[in-house]
Amino acid sequence: MKNSTMLEMKGVRKSFGTVVALDDVNLQLKSSEIHGLLGGNGAGKTTLMNVLYGLYKPDRGEIYLREKKVEIQSPKDAISCGIGMVHQHFLQIDSYTVTENIVLGTRLKNRPTLDLDQEEQRIQDLSERFGLEVSPSSLVEELPMGIRQRVEILKAVYRGVDVLILDEPTTNLTPQEVESLFQSLRVMVEEGMSVVFITHKLREVLSVSDRISVLRDGRNVITLPRDEASEEVLVRAMVGEGLDVGKSLVFSDTGLDQEALQVGQEPVLRVEGLQVVNEEGNPLVKDCSFQIREKEIFGVAGVAGNGQQELAESLMGIRPIAGGQASIDDTSIVGLETRELLEMGVTYIPEDRLQDGFLPTANVAQNLILGYQRQEPYHNRGFLDWNAIFRAARELITEYNIMTPSAKEPAANLSGGNIQRVMLARAFSHPAKLLVAHNPTRGLDIGSMEFVYSKLLERKEQGMATLLLSEDLDELMLLCDRIATIYRGQFAGVLERGEFDKYQIGRMMSGVETHE
Amino acid sequence: MSEQTTELGHSIKALADTLIPYILAVVAAFAAVGIFFAAVGFDVLQAYSTILFTSFRTPNGFVQTLLKYVPLLLQALAFTVPLTAGKFNIGGEGQLIVGAIGAAAVGIMFSGLPMLLLLPMVILAGIVFGGFWAAIPAWLLYRFGINEILTTVMMNFISFSLIDYVATEIWRDPTAGHPTTVPIGAGGEFPLLVAKPPLNSGIVLALAAAVIVYVYVNRTPGGYDLVATGANARASRVFGINVRVMFLLSLIVGGALAGLSGAIEVAGVHHRLIEGLQSNFLLLGIIIGLMARGNLLAVPFVAFFIAVLEVGASAMQRTMMIPVEFVFIVEALILLFVLLSDVVRRR
Repeated sequence: MKNSTMLEMKGVRKSFGTVVALDDVNLQLKSSEIHGLLGGNGAGKTTLMNVLYGLYKPDRGEIYLREKKVEIQSPKDAISCGIGMVHQHFLQIDSYTVTENIVLGTRLKNRPTLDLDQEEQRIQDLSERFGLEVSPSSLVEELPMGIRQRVEILKAVYRGVDVLILDEPTTNLTPQEVESLFQSLRVMVEEGMSVVFITHKLREVLSVSDRISVLRDGRNVITLPRDEASEEVLVRAMVGEGLDVGKSLVFSDTGLDQEALQVGQEPVLRVEGLQVVNEEGNPLVKDCSFQIREKEIFGVAGVAGNGQQELAESLMGIRPIAGGQASIDDTSIVGLETRELLEMGVTYIPEDRLQDGFLPTANVAQNLILGYQRQEPYHNRGFLDWNAIFRAARELITEYNIMTPSAKEPAANLSGGNIQRVMLARAFSHPAKLLVAHNPTRGLDIGSMEFVYSKLLERKEQGMATLLLSEDLDELMLLCDRIATIYRGQFAGVLERGEFDKYQIGRMMSGVETHE
Repeated sequence: MSEQTTELGHSIKALADTLIPYILAVVAAFAAVGIFFAAVGFDVLQAYSTILFTSFRTPNGFVQTLLKYVPLLLQALAFTVPLTAGKFNIGGEGQLIVGAIGAAAVGIMFSGLPMLLLLPMVILAGIVFGGFWAAIPAWLLYRFGINEILTTVMMNFISFSLIDYVATEIWRDPTAGHPTTVPIGAGGEFPLLVAKPPLNSGIVLALAAAVIVYVYVNRTPGGYDLVATGANARASRVFGINVRVMFLLSLIVGGALAGLSGAIEVAGVHHRLIEGLQSNFLLLGIIIGLMARGNLLAVPFVAFFIAVLEVGASAMQRTMMIPVEFVFIVEALILLFVLLSDVVRRR
């Protein structure tokens, strides 16, 4: 049984309009293996798995399950073939219990009475067997991300799948939760299941997979057993020959040279006992105090939704500061409007670029000047100077490699990665003594991440301060001079470069530990 | 050099991409109604030549078209300016009526004043009253977040009662068989641009308003704020635009434009306040704004086209006994096909 072929995809091709997302891709999955599927953003990993799960219909290609050809037209077909998928965004009903969420859409024993005791018992058994600890009777909305993901995995296991696909499962987890997920996956494959693990994080894939396949630009690059793979080989496969891995920032372990580590003395941003509350008056950010000095990148780590956005928005004047002090260069910013802050030289890369930073019906040039429409050189004696605006836009399009036929193109036609480049171009092209950047590399491929990192370091070299809020610990540990960890709106601790420890930060992220 | 050529090519292609769906929509709408005309037994060609060419055959037809054009253009702007900020002003009718009431009130109360004083006062009264009528729903939106579509519509109904009261109680003209006020002072009347057939100079103001609105929205930072707010209010707020003030101002400017058209109807066309002077300008204005897809450069042209159709429709009813409602069907179908072309293009 072991090492027999569980599933095979042959010659899969999928195009969207003129864009070929997958071209002649093959994937072979053995039984009892964890198969890492690696690739940058837009490499086609998720598209391939959506084809397997019946969400996309491929233009060409075949799927064989235990050497028998199968036709998968919908997720329903996939589940009846024993294929389950856990998406990046969970599809759960918040007001239902764990049990109710898991049995939803399955055949129930006691349908008329909705007596779920038997089902609950089975879920309990499964959760113990695989080490996916969860209480079946708790409401899903009360659970943290890590547990909600277990619910999603249990959903698949409950339906008796043999193949489990996990799409970027570690995005919102603390390092400890990642460890425990990996242990559960081990138990599953030992019982004969196969797991496909989609990720763009090298270290994770190396630590858990039995075999690793790399996709790039919708094509197969290589498939290797774990013991033949090394970080170097995988990086080359992921990014091609275009990137000098030796000099790359994204893959550097030790971080930066000494020059780049210098931090200035003068504080740019001073925050003292900052409070932010929601409409009901409940605190979202509690008693935050920190300083960001010249030439400093100050990181904030944390699981999404622990007050990062509220912290950023209060400093940008988007949300009112309910208590405490905040000042930039000794000028208080409490009560200032966003427009005044932008004029003072604070700039912002919002986390949710579509909601918070993007004008879909306006053109690319209009998007590039949002927030700066009253500043030189765009503004001249009461009128906008469109010549200057388009000239600046064309320069930014070239410098930031924004893929668009023209600066007059409606911004709605840009792809996600290009929209992010517009956000970056806007933030980096206007001189700012303080940058507030929230997940600035989300949705970018490795080449573009590289670019963002070098821009952040360039700012640092020029003596400017940066507040970097990120869910990517590797990114923070690489770039930051200090990292604060935020948990439920409060700093659980601030670590200096040199004492960064992934697991300690992880414990602080989940509220188990504080550090003074 | 080559870059400029490609930019130019890009512009020409963009213009063609915009115009072709319009032309197809117009042709398709006329074809669809033509089939119906033929089935009922009307002379299709004669009907269409009446609709399309009445405006251009006689000086009178052309002047009639321009007189229709003024309120249609201003109503379309009153709808389109708030639309630029993402808000729907469905109260242009009420704003026109209240603007007309303001203009008439000033024109009657100060009827002795010379033109140099009275005419600007009449125009200003129309603008201020119209703006005030829009400011009520705008403030309710600003202060309490009440949906402006509901409130602007409801303000229309209040204005119907208001004009009734003014025209039957306060300044009633006892000799008229229809609720009408006494005439305004001669100094409040618009001077004529052309004496025969009579064309008043209101059209100059309407066109000036269209130009000012276009330049403001497209060339100034304030206009940029308006466009950005309409494109994504949340993102605009995050980047420092006070979007609630934008909502408020755009609705008030819309009301002022509608109020101006009320003043022109009173001071230019009727020289008094007449109940029903709002005609169906509101609906046509909304149709024009939607056909132009909110593009302020397109609005004056689309408005002229609709004015031609309207004048042609009346002529068709007079000479061929074909009800004007058929032209409403044509207009509705054009709008439908223009909107449909968006869906088709997205596929």
